[in-house]
Amino acid sequence: MFTYNFKYELKLLLRSSWIQLLTLLLLLLFVFASYNGKQKVDKRTADITSAQTVVDTSDKETLSILLAIEKGEDLNLSPWVTPTSPINIGNQNPRVAAMPANEMAFMSVGQSDIYTHYVLPKVSGDDFALNLSEMASPIQLLFGSFDLAFVVVYLLPLIVIAFSYNVLSEERERGSLKLLASQPISIRKWVFQKIGIRMFWISIMVLLATTVAFLLNDIKSFDGYVLFFVTCVIYMLFWFGLTFAVNIQIGKSTQNAFVLLGFWIVFVLLIPSIINQVSDVLYPVPSRNQLINEMREHKSEAEKKQDQILDNFLRDHPEYAVNNDANSKSFWHSYMASQKIVKEELQPLLSEFDNNLAKRQKWVNKLQWLSPAILVQQDLNTRAGTSKADYENYRQQILNFSNEWRDYFMPLLYNNQVFTSEHFSKLPIFQYKSDKSIINGYRLWGVLLLTSIVLVIVIITYKLRTKKEYSIIQ
Amino acid sequence: MITTKKITKKYGDFTALDQLSLNVKPGEIYCLLGANGAGKSTTINLVLGFINPTSGEALINGKSVFKNNIETKKDIAYIPENLMLYPTLTAMENLDYFSGIGGQKLKKDQLESLLIQSGLQPEAFYKRTNAFSKGMRQKVGIAIAIAKQAKALLLDEPTSGLDPKASNEFGELLQELKGNGVATLMATHDLFRAKEIATHIGIMKSGKLKQQFTASDISLPQLEKAYLDTMNYKELAK
Amino acid sequence: MKNTLIKELKELFRDGRIRLAGGIVILLLGMAVWISSSQYHKIKQQNKISEAHERENWEDQGEKNPHSAAHYGTYAFKPQYPLGFLDKGIEKYAGTSVFMEAHKRNEAQFSPVIDQTGLARFGELSPDFILLFIIPLLIILMGYNSFTKERELGTVSLLKSQGVKSNNILFGKWLSLFLPIIAITLLLFLIAGILLSGLEGFGWGSLFLLLLVYWIYYAVFINITLLTSRLSKSSSIALVVMLSVWIVSCLVVPKATGNIADSKYPYPTRQQFTTSVLVDKEKGLDGHNPWSKEAKKLEQQTLAKYKVDSLAQLPFNYDAFRMQKGEEHEAKVYQKHYQKLRDQFAGQASTYRSLSILSPFLPARFLSMGISRTDYHSHWDFEDATENYRIITQKFLNDNFAKNSSYGDWGYKVDSSFWKDLPKFNYEHPSLNKVLEQQLFSLVILMGWLLISFLLLLTVKNKI
Repeated sequence: MFTYNFKYELKLLLRSSWIQLLTLLLLLLFVFASYNGKQKVDKRTADITSAQTVVDTSDKETLSILLAIEKGEDLNLSPWVTPTSPINIGNQNPRVAAMPANEMAFMSVGQSDIYTHYVLPKVSGDDFALNLSEMASPIQLLFGSFDLAFVVVYLLPLIVIAFSYNVLSEERERGSLKLLASQPISIRKWVFQKIGIRMFWISIMVLLATTVAFLLNDIKSFDGYVLFFVTCVIYMLFWFGLTFAVNIQIGKSTQNAFVLLGFWIVFVLLIPSIINQVSDVLYPVPSRNQLINEMREHKSEAEKKQDQILDNFLRDHPEYAVNNDANSKSFWHSYMASQKIVKEELQPLLSEFDNNLAKRQKWVNKLQWLSPAILVQQDLNTRAGTSKADYENYRQQILNFSNEWRDYFMPLLYNNQVFTSEHFSKLPIFQYKSDKSIINGYRLWGVLLLTSIVLVIVIITYKLRTKKEYSIIQ
Repeated sequence: MITTKKITKKYGDFTALDQLSLNVKPGEIYCLLGANGAGKSTTINLVLGFINPTSGEALINGKSVFKNNIETKKDIAYIPENLMLYPTLTAMENLDYFSGIGGQKLKKDQLESLLIQSGLQPEAFYKRTNAFSKGMRQKVGIAIAIAKQAKALLLDEPTSGLDPKASNEFGELLQELKGNGVATLMATHDLFRAKEIATHIGIMKSGKLKQQFTASDISLPQLEKAYLDTMNYKELAK
Repeated sequence: MKNTLIKELKELFRDGRIRLAGGIVILLLGMAVWISSSQYHKIKQQNKISEAHERENWEDQGEKNPHSAAHYGTYAFKPQYPLGFLDKGIEKYAGTSVFMEAHKRNEAQFSPVIDQTGLARFGELSPDFILLFIIPLLIILMGYNSFTKERELGTVSLLKSQGVKSNNILFGKWLSLFLPIIAITLLLFLIAGILLSGLEGFGWGSLFLLLLVYWIYYAVFINITLLTSRLSKSSSIALVVMLSVWIVSCLVVPKATGNIADSKYPYPTRQQFTTSVLVDKEKGLDGHNPWSKEAKKLEQQTLAKYKVDSLAQLPFNYDAFRMQKGEEHEAKVYQKHYQKLRDQFAGQASTYRSLSILSPFLPARFLSMGISRTDYHSHWDFEDATENYRIITQKFLNDNFAKNSSYGDWGYKVDSSFWKDLPKFNYEHPSLNKVLEQQLFSLVILMGWLLISFLLLLTVKNKI
């Protein structure tokens, strides 16, 4: 039966133009999506490069000034630009702390449209004000991006559904089912083969579209290319499993379409949004406004006790008090001290905030198993390095770097040291390290598991049914 | 060859078939007559295993249809009332496909000779079937049936909607198959054609087999009278 | 026509699938309204508390130099317009609070999306999701076979032989789709109206206009559905075509348009924006830098104007005066750069408008957000209001500083009661007229969709 099904299915699909149409459609969608992804990645890379160029230029300038001063030249600079003051360097010569796009970033925009990909932490900046959100039109954020992940997660299931929602019902509606059913074959097996064959052809088409899409981005990672294709196939497998289940259970074509569309809405639209909203209710995060209120109070308190704070601070940090006589206390001394105090006071609040967010994320991670759409989206996002976890990782690294940066200058400031060209060469540097543990193959296994659950349910309901008859007769 | 043993089919309270027992031997053509809803098609569907009986049994070549559905279907050829083919495939391709999925691997010349045997005009062999008339489609169906070398042939209203010439040709074909020892069970409205082709005739009403005749024992007017009597019986009783 | 209407309605209500789908939609809508309204009240409550708290912080500053207070600044929290609970628009992606401080105009920050999990991007079970996405789908499910089923059942010739005019059949079918939708949405909006009627700023006019927009949007979908049904060979083709129409207009076109608009009119990155603002700021007066060229110029001008020889002789504190002048210069710089950003968005908006020809979803989306005051324009309106307030606050503080202290007197402190004199920040949402002015184009496009789809529906002949 298989060879005949295979041979004639191809003929039928070619003659009804399905293959031609789908190939064209898939190519269009994949190419447009990957082109969009490429544009985003290119812009991201260009932005980071130009920021780095600006920093490099200003570094050169600063270094030449430093060297000139060290040679004893008097450049007659204002006190707040002279690079011999460590705090000036800390504020005016920041490093670019960038999160460059990885080689798969074009696959999925993920959260990359919300967050910025480089910041320039300064000594005087406070972590609370560290704004990692990117300037973007919220309309664009609302609509989302037309990227490969969208094509795969949202559109591919619809294509699968449109392609095979009526494999069996079409036969009945055309009138050829009776003739078919009178042949010595199992109809279930026949439907299974037909759907399997369609799955095969659509996979070939997806492979073609994937190849073109990746060639457009000059296949930077062969593994990534293969994995993307495998992801598509596994995700399609789930949807083909569902169409198989629906095909052999339900009657008319339109009914099948209704039910499958219903599944699509549930898995792709409803489950994710409901999980998200329930997580809001179960793990409420204190509102940012509340956080602002608290932060403001602490700041206000700190300001009122400015001088006292500095004294206390120096008492707590005697290492900074070396060489420190009353006359050399500048604005920066007390500013940095109160900044640090406020930060320390706010720390529990901020970590509670972060903890709650982490708890919520954990809960959501557990429930992602309910929908293959979530699993695949997460899988693509993590491999593109654009998932929430990636940006959280980046944020943590920035916070650490920001501390490192500050800690580099604090002793210089409190010891009233002169910043030299030697110091300049030892400035801390930021290097983003992606966390490979975020990427995890288990999500794909999860999709496979869901697929087998669907098939097991089909088999069980079939076994349980006393009347093992298909509505061959209407 | 085709046997039903006290086969009953109920849909809820409605009894579509009531304890029907039939036996069609090789070389026989058994015609089931009756009005719409008499249970003719239900009988055929039961023999094919498309539906399960409420009680009783249908056997093909002594094997239960319900227990060995796929196996028994190897011995059955079936031509449904309105036989439909894949419109985008040619007659040859349809024949190749339908016999192929059942395990009959046929070569091109074999396929052609089958179509010739079925009486399809040769110029239509390589044409897509979307423009085929009912008669032409049916001929392809017959070719599929012959290809299967089935021992049992089930026909559901094969002559309805056929023009007289086509209908006649069809009758001749059946005779030929009969000669090969095929047992045929055919549901029809067409008394004239039934009398002409059948070896045995049964009249059904409300799921019951009311009368049975050997075709040679009865003339057409007698058959017509018997048929009308059976049909009117209940109305008179009312 | 009445008979057709009644027959169609009966058929719809008897169809188990439609009943099920309708029931699910109503259930989802109920859930969405419930979730959304409780969130709305929570946020409103939170805003009220935060506002009061912040004001308290402000008034409780004690004796302090006014310029220190200017740096301490104050926060404004974005209030939600009552209709925001029906259409959340961009709220999730736009900042909710603005920090207003000296020398610097800040954007609204802390958009809710950054505190949510990655799932937030999948969408939300909110009334606008049901209204914009799911109800059109319901219309499609109800109407895809309106004409094809007559052909499939063969009743079309029967109807024709009865001498029923085909336009009457059409209108009957049209109404049979429209009336149930009207009923569901009217009920929803009435409930919303009752829930919201007590709230400040709520207007029935906006609510009904919003309802009207949705009705037009649904009418367009009904037209397209019936048109497709008239032109299709079979029900299942009609269904597949209509589902594609839905996917393209509600999902594909908005996303694709977003990408096209963004690549044609890109926004600067935050760092680029800050840098270009800084460059322009440095070209002018810096309130804290008395040595710059601009500062010297101002010094000369002021001395000449008051005909005195030294800054100390001025009748006010020149430091504060200079700071105010600097503030004014900076405000202009920000104005210029934010204007650039808006021009950039105006470009994006024109892309959205021109591609609205491909999707009735886009104009409906923009109108709905506009009327709910949750669109980008409303967000800007709020940011502008905060900027005005910031400018007023700075002037209020600098003027006091200038008037009550003398040159060089940085130790000056105001009375602790002074802070109360600053008027509270009070924001009023843009008026309906203003919204309509902004959204006029969307309205025109949506009406265009309605008219053209109607015309097409009336002119095409049934297939077969």
